[in-house]
This record gives sequence, C-alpha cells and structure tokens, in this order.
Amino acid sequence: MEKAEGSSLKSLLGFYSPSYAPDDPSMNVSVYSSGISKLSPYLNVDPYINQEPEYILPEGANRQRGRFEFAFGTIGSGVMVGGAFGGINGLYTGIKATQGMTGNVRRTQLINYVSKTGASSANALGVIAVMYSGFGCFLSWYRDTDDDTNTLAAATATGLLYKSSAGLKRSAIGGGIGLALSAAYCLWRRGDKEGRSIVNYVGSRHTSSY
Amino acid sequence: MEEYAREPCPWRIVDDCGGAFAMGAIGGSLFQAIKGFRNAPAGMSHRFTGSLTAIKARAPVIGGQFAVWGGLFSTIDCTLIKIRGKEDPWNAIISGAATGGILAARSGVGAMAGSALIGGVLLAMIEGVGIMFSRLAADQFRPLSPDEQIQMMRQQDPNNPNLFPNPLNGSESSYQNA
Repeated sequence: MEKAEGSSLKSLLGFYSPSYAPDDPSMNVSVYSSGISKLSPYLNVDPYINQEPEYILPEGANRQRGRFEFAFGTIGSGVMVGGAFGGINGLYTGIKATQGMTGNVRRTQLINYVSKTGASSANALGVIAVMYSGFGCFLSWYRDTDDDTNTLAAATATGLLYKSSAGLKRSAIGGGIGLALSAAYCLWRRGDKEGRSIVNYVGSRHTSSY
Repeated sequence: MEEYAREPCPWRIVDDCGGAFAMGAIGGSLFQAIKGFRNAPAGMSHRFTGSLTAIKARAPVIGGQFAVWGGLFSTIDCTLIKIRGKEDPWNAIISGAATGGILAARSGVGAMAGSALIGGVLLAMIEGVGIMFSRLAADQFRPLSPDEQIQMMRQQDPNNPNLFPNPLNGSESSYQNA
C-alpha cells in the first residue's frame, strides 16, 4: 500500500494529461478481476516486452534441391528401368530359346528367363546408379556447388569404377562411355536453359547454376 | 538433409525402391567384403581378391532383394493410402506384413505367416521409434503460453520492470491499487 503512493499520484496526473506511452500510468490497467482469478492468461502480457521485431526469415529455402534428394529417385528409376528392359529382353530371348517346348515346361522356362535377366540387369543398372549418385553427392558436397562439372566427373568416375576389375583398358573404355553419356546429357539439359528442350515440357526437376 | 520431404505417392515407390537398393548394395558390400576376406585362402592378396569377388558377386543381388522389398512395400503402402484415405502407422505395419507374406509365397503357408509376422513386427518397431523421435523433437519446439514466457523471463531477470507482478505470489499489486 505504501509503495503504491507515488504511482497513485502519478496516475492521478496521468489521467489529466495522458501520453499513452508505456510509462503513462493510465496505461497500467490491471487485467486481474480480483486476486488470483485472472480474466485470461493472454491478457497478462505486456506488449512492450518483445520490443525487437520478429521476422520469419527464409533461411534454408534459397537453395535448390541438391543431389542427395534426387539420389534415391535416380537409383530407384535405374533399378526399375533396368528390370523392365531386362524383363522384355529376357522374354524375347526366352521365346526364341524355347521354340521346341510346350505347356508347363515352356511357361516355367519363360518365367525363369524373364526373372533372371530382369533381375540381373536391374541390379547392374542399380549399382551404376548407386555409384553415380554417391560420386555426385560427394562432389557436390566437396566442391560446394552443383554444376555440369560434377555430372561429368561423377559419370566418368562411375564408368572407371564399374569396370575397374576388368583391366585398365576396359576401365578406361567404361570411363569414356560415362563421359560421353554425361556430356550428351549435359548438352541436352543446356538446351533447357534456352527453352528448346523437352525438359521444359516434362518439368524442370533438374535445375543447376550454369 | 534439410527440407527433405517424402515424394507424393506414385513417385514414392521409385524413391523407396532406390533407397532400399542403395541400403542393400552398400550394406551388402560391407558384409560381403568381410565375408570374402574371411573365406579366402591365406595371404593378403588372396584375401583382398576374395573380398572383391564376393562384393561383385553378391552385393548387387542383396541390393536387388532389398529393392524388391522396398518397392513392393511402398506399392502396398500407397494402395492402402488410396483405399483407406489416411496415412498412419497402420498402413506401414499392414504393408510390411503383406510384403513379407507375398515375397515368401512360394515357400508355403507356414513360411508366409512367419515372414508376414516378422515384416509386421519390424515395421511396427520402425514406426514406433519414428513416432518416439518426432515426439522428442517436437517437444523442443512446444509453443509456450504467455504465462510460461513470463515465468521464464522472471527467472532470467527478476527485476524486469516490464513484467507484471506475479499473481500467484499474492493479490497485492501496485497496479491494482493505482
């Protein structure tokens, strides 16, 4: 009660000349109805507590999706495309190879041809995709950019590694094939920037900074 | 990994298939490397050759098996999402059990039931751990009520003049009497 004397006087003056500033006593209106029972907990906030502005900054949203986000999709498409092509190829080979057979035997043989050829080519393409994605992720992490150089280097390294156990010459050939394919891909995608590519109509999932 | 969200449904199958293949191929490489190293005849060059041969022979196959599991799982998951019209842990558990059962279909009914049980329990455990982690992570960002904010500020600076007196410490407030 005693310490309220000063502010009581100030508040009396404040009612005659209100400034509506935070130190204006007339702004100090109690939000408690009586004692402990409050009107609302949300009224118990002084709006002058948080003086600094609060913004939602678009941090982390400025970057395009990186290679890691596409890695699993790439590998999965590799596996599925490899399985589909291998399956069709196996069916074709099987039909040719089982000309003399009939009935159950031929059907089982055909199923075996399709599943074995499909599985092996799916695995091969999947492993290539895993290598390519791994190299691509590593390069874009190590160089801290995501550009055509990464694509070319990752594809070349994939070719070299995939054929690395078959001798130096074959490994080099594999690397060359990787380089050629990735160069073709990069050229195709470069047309995307000039608006001549099919990528514009399919959807621009692969965007990079040229 | 920031802002990595799952793909929408049909593409999720490709994504899951790829993730499973990568997991199987890389993990299989590690295990086959050890296995080939141990099974090879003595001598370091033999051992490393054996390791490489085992990786080349088996890792893609293991990756392929994982990929089939992941792809089938995701296909059933997406089908269940479409049929049931909601995404919850039960989808994953049911599709895990169904995948285990379907892939063991050629080994007989008993093996199917066992595989389905293992698949369901495995997926239930994975979902449970996921829910637990998201609970723990979300608790960190729990919004504070104004009361709690003021309590925190009072703890940091008890003499902050901007804070109203604590109503819980008695009804005597200088502002009320003003």
